[in-house]
Amino acid sequence: MSELVFPVAVPRARRIRLTRLVRIELLKLTSTRLGYGLLAAVLVLTPAWTSIEASRAGKPNGPAALFTASGQTSIIAGGAWALIFAIVLGVTISSGEFRHHTATNTYLAVPGRNRVLAAKAAAGAVGGAVFGVAAYAVTLVVGLSFTSAHGYRLVIGAGTLADWGVGHVVGAALLGAIGVVIGSLVRSQLAAIIGVFMWTLVIESLIGGLFESARPYLPYTAAAALAGLPLGAANFGPSGGVAGVSALPFAAATALLAAIALAGALIAARTTVRRDIT
Amino acid sequence: MATIQIRGLVKRFGPVTAVDGLSFDVSPGTVTGFLGPNGAGKTTTLRILLGLVTPDSGTATINGHVYRQLPEPLHQVGAVLEATGFHPGRTARAQLHIQALAAAADPSRIEDVLDLVGLADAADRRIGGFSLGMRQRLGLATALLADPEVLILDEPANGLDPEGVRWLRDLLRGFAAEGGTVLVSSHLLAEVAQTVDSVVIIDSGRLVAQGPVAELTAGGTGLEDAFFQLTKEASR
Repeated sequence: MSELVFPVAVPRARRIRLTRLVRIELLKLTSTRLGYGLLAAVLVLTPAWTSIEASRAGKPNGPAALFTASGQTSIIAGGAWALIFAIVLGVTISSGEFRHHTATNTYLAVPGRNRVLAAKAAAGAVGGAVFGVAAYAVTLVVGLSFTSAHGYRLVIGAGTLADWGVGHVVGAALLGAIGVVIGSLVRSQLAAIIGVFMWTLVIESLIGGLFESARPYLPYTAAAALAGLPLGAANFGPSGGVAGVSALPFAAATALLAAIALAGALIAARTTVRRDIT
Repeated sequence: MATIQIRGLVKRFGPVTAVDGLSFDVSPGTVTGFLGPNGAGKTTTLRILLGLVTPDSGTATINGHVYRQLPEPLHQVGAVLEATGFHPGRTARAQLHIQALAAAADPSRIEDVLDLVGLADAADRRIGGFSLGMRQRLGLATALLADPEVLILDEPANGLDPEGVRWLRDLLRGFAAEGGTVLVSSHLLAEVAQTVDSVVIIDSGRLVAQGPVAELTAGGTGLEDAFFQLTKEASR
């Protein structure tokens, strides 16, 4: 009879570095067309939306007139499509492994599943950040073009515009990471993407309407606040201001979204990520 | 010491016991056929061996380690479990680039394995347009990229044309001749008989027989007849 064999612990140093795992995930992302397609959607929808809002500015039921700070904010800030598509991108990064049955090869190459999840979240953040940069660059050009075409002076300071740019990047990056977590928890890609749109377009509005004091803490609203919008001014999510309640400051909104990503990742690591790959 | 050791392996999926106290060894320098009827537990056993499925009890080790604790696993084990396990929108070359990065393999190996499996001309085509046989070849290319010591293959001949089956047989025989270890599951018993040195036969998750092909067919029966006889006796 053969001797019993017991597993031998392997030093951590022999594992693949996390930076290489992130490079692998980014290579996966850039070697298919889906990521580019989502970026193209952001680059089409963002200027289209900005143009529509700018053309409605100053009219009944439209944003404030473009010569006001409020009007200029409404067409430049927010980054709605970058935020939504950053979540969708993140979802596809993780759930795509199950949709295309590539999880087997992924876990054969890197058996440490939690590290794969961390690398995917980082890749989702990088992809989301790219969406944020692209959307802000486009909306800034289009928004400023409309403002100057009307002969109005830009009343928003350069420092504020820079803050909004950083907010677009940080907000979209964190939502990209949250998307990865969602795709890990809900392996069905279609269900996860439908859920993302339902949440941002419908459910967050409902929750914000029912519980007004909770509005600043809703994830899409918090990300829109990072991208420069006051509470209730986001393109989606609960609309209208609430007396005594304001959007979260930059650091608090960043911490909230990071905490959501981390908590979701911990839940996924303890549940779905551990499941058998059959 | 055997390269692959399975000891008392048990895996249940709800009320179904897929693997039921299975134990066997696979020695280095051999090609071992892993045979059994549909639902016998072959794929589950291979997935446990590769760390994709967690057993309820027992151990499955390669070179003394469970897969998840293997240092640099792709340099030790090359595996092909499903020919469909590639993103259809990615090219074969991009797939191998990803694998090379994961394995820290020399990128020049990509051209080597593309040539080896006969996919050099299709390297820049998207995998979605590949036939099943081409996907099998790509799977073998990914498995061989990091020059592993062990090959674990689940139905690798599926979708291969006769020339491809012969090519696969020569590849596996050559790999074992150089000291490598091959564990290959297959339904193609006639092909297995020409390729493997020994077989492990399981049914209902239990070991039915293990040994050199020559021993199992010593009575003058072919491997196919021996297989049916053994699995029939086991199911009684």
